[in-house]
Amino acid sequence: MKLSKRSYQSVILILIAIMLVLAGCGNSSSSSGSSADTNSADAGTPTAGGELVWALAGVVTNDILDAHRTGFAPSTRVMRSIYDSLVVELPDHTFGPWLAESWSLSDDKKSYTFKLRQDVKFHDGTPFNAEAVKFNFDRAVDPATQSYLGKNALGPYVSTDVIDEYTVKVNFSSTFAPFLSNVAKVDLGIVSPAAVKKYGETFPQNPVGTGPFKLGKVVPGTELDLVRNEDYNWAPSGSKHQGPAYLEKLTIKYVAEDATRLSVLQSGQADVADIIPPQNLLALRADSGFNVQETELLQHNYSYYFNQNKEPWNDINVRKAVRAAIDLDSAIKTVYLGTAKQAWSPLSPHSLYYTSTVENTWKYDPDFANKTLDELGWVKGDDGIRVKDGKRLSMEFLDAQGNREKRLDLLAVVTQQLKQVGIELKLLTLPAGTVSERSLKGEYDFAGSSQFYGDPSILRQMYSTKGPSGVNNVARTSDPALEDLLEQANAELDSSKRQELYKKIQEYIIENVYSIPTYVLDYTVASSKKVHDITFDSPAWPVFYDAWIKQ
Amino acid sequence: MVKYIINRLILAVPVILGSLTLVFLIIHWLPGDPARMLAGDDHAEDRIQYLQEQLGLNRPLWVQYFTYLWDSMRGDFGHSFANQQPVMDRLLSQLPSTAELAVVSTIFAIITGITLGILSAVYRNRLVDYVIRIVSLFGVSMPKFWLGILLILIFSVHLHLLPAIGNGSFKQVILPAFALGVTGAGILARMVRNSILEVIEDPFVTTLRAKGVTERKVLYLHVLRNALLPSLTIIGVIFVGMLEGAVVTETVFARQGIGKMVVDAIGQKDIPVIQASILICAVFNIVVNLLVDISYSFVDPRVRQQSA
Repeated sequence: MKLSKRSYQSVILILIAIMLVLAGCGNSSSSSGSSADTNSADAGTPTAGGELVWALAGVVTNDILDAHRTGFAPSTRVMRSIYDSLVVELPDHTFGPWLAESWSLSDDKKSYTFKLRQDVKFHDGTPFNAEAVKFNFDRAVDPATQSYLGKNALGPYVSTDVIDEYTVKVNFSSTFAPFLSNVAKVDLGIVSPAAVKKYGETFPQNPVGTGPFKLGKVVPGTELDLVRNEDYNWAPSGSKHQGPAYLEKLTIKYVAEDATRLSVLQSGQADVADIIPPQNLLALRADSGFNVQETELLQHNYSYYFNQNKEPWNDINVRKAVRAAIDLDSAIKTVYLGTAKQAWSPLSPHSLYYTSTVENTWKYDPDFANKTLDELGWVKGDDGIRVKDGKRLSMEFLDAQGNREKRLDLLAVVTQQLKQVGIELKLLTLPAGTVSERSLKGEYDFAGSSQFYGDPSILRQMYSTKGPSGVNNVARTSDPALEDLLEQANAELDSSKRQELYKKIQEYIIENVYSIPTYVLDYTVASSKKVHDITFDSPAWPVFYDAWIKQ
Repeated sequence: MVKYIINRLILAVPVILGSLTLVFLIIHWLPGDPARMLAGDDHAEDRIQYLQEQLGLNRPLWVQYFTYLWDSMRGDFGHSFANQQPVMDRLLSQLPSTAELAVVSTIFAIITGITLGILSAVYRNRLVDYVIRIVSLFGVSMPKFWLGILLILIFSVHLHLLPAIGNGSFKQVILPAFALGVTGAGILARMVRNSILEVIEDPFVTTLRAKGVTERKVLYLHVLRNALLPSLTIIGVIFVGMLEGAVVTETVFARQGIGKMVVDAIGQKDIPVIQASILICAVFNIVVNLLVDISYSFVDPRVRQQSA
């Protein structure tokens, strides 16, 4: 192979040209603007009509849109537009009327009586009434429904009595404090009994509710078209208007891939995209062509859990040493570029009964970590990892979710920090089924998990053997004192007493290092400038009822 | 010829049975109880038992195996664990999109690959040849994922020429087909170039030239016909390989398709969907290979004589 001098030059020129093209493209996503408008500002009177295209972060798994049957976040975000709830939870954690006009608690405090609106119709034209509410609650607890969250949300549910056409009484075997908060969520959204009977097993793909939008077309695994419910006149209290929604059509495209989702927004093929990765969030905030809305997701923060059933993690001193070895502040700044802040409690800061008393109760202290582990007899070996009685101080971390929310990037930084004090962290990326099986058998040392919810009773699910996940709580916590507090808090209807209980619970979890809270997540929605008034429900999912497009 | 095809079809039966069995064994050997996974975070035993009964997972393994074989032979793939829909419906709803993508990108790969291969051979060791060889090297080694995002940035975000996502119109298949087809085009270009250069050294070419046949006729009528034969096999392999590449491409371009469906199904251990998809892929593989072999006989008379 012989190249003449001229050919050489040409080849090099072409290579340079290719590189230039590639480099140009690399920069494109960070186009900068001047204004840093992060709010959907007032832009005059809303105009009705138009189609809004939403590039959804994630996939509505198997197109399941049955309120009682799915707990996956992307489905939940979509379903908020299709299903209404009996009550609405307002930002200050009080409750307002929605499909129920009023409600009262019985004398023994174990039953709730709801007076329902009388003018509500499902998308299929059938009336919404007391029978429909009974049908919904009974359905949510029926094992045949395969309810994922709906069943948990009803706790000690016993039955629903139909008092008259528009009055229902919901009975529990004991007092159940989270009920109103749970009933306000999509997981207990009201589905059409007639449609459930009509569609049977295919109801999840043919959702019928009373919401401001109804299902138009489904392109399986790719796209959902929701169309305006013209009869809608029962918006929840707190809404900016009454009557039908402004948008004529809400087209939802599943775009799980971050870079693609950003591209369809920037190229104008979508009006809205949600869950913006940190590096793009910074660019979009600075781009005058887009609005960025950031709302704290009410949830159990993404936390690291120690498996309490495995040595040496059942030793509180080892757990304290591990926590002191992690410099979360710098790790979060590195990975999230200032778009997320450190979490101190298992609960996100705007959750009901969050306590600030746990803030700054621990700090990054490698000297303490080293000293504690030395005292416990863990001695650094040749490779820098500590050893005791021939056993290495090594932890296995199971993962099936990939780098969602940059969690694996965060873990990579944490792994390096742990190594500094002689602790080894091994990340095992496995198929979901394998992770699930190994988790159930307790074959892991360290785990990461989050759960959106909006009520502090989520702590019972994560830390108690009496919670809905039972002995499978991630931390494998089996602590009678903690469980007792959680049970009390779950049944306590007096809000100041309940607040005190959850304060103790959060402090207890942090003092005992059952988990290490990591970062506080903001749910982000970026939209083009012509889109206005997207609002958020509890726990933080978008509501398109008030949204409108400037024509 | 007919006898040959029938023989091949009979041979396909053990291949299909084998892949059905293999898939069954692998799925059941993998850890993870589908009922437990369907039950989600709520691991209540009564619900897990209910689901196991519903899904027929509490039956002995051999009963499950033979039921599955018998049902598959009758074309009944059962219902998806995850959403209770008939598996056949799901497959049929996703298949056209993947087929469209695979066909368009294969056609793209064939046209581009062969054209570049011929040009490369004709202008052997000259600038055109070097450029083509570098470009095809890029094509072979560029990750589809990265190329996909790059194409979206250039053609969708900057030039506003083509839609980035979705399926349905021809415009929407252009970018993904390009991203998916580039590897095949690169492989073909290199392959065609090498075969042409090999055949051109054959004695019959010298004879043709000695007889005064024009260089153009030598190349297009005689050399190409011989040189393309090995590429035919590769085209079959490329086409089948598109199914594998479709997983990544469908994710980046947010398209409907079998690739994405199978990956999701494996994650959820949705056994009926996995089994049916693998069966479809096996049948697909067999059919494509058969078609390739048959097309051989049109190009090469020697094969026709042997099989007749």
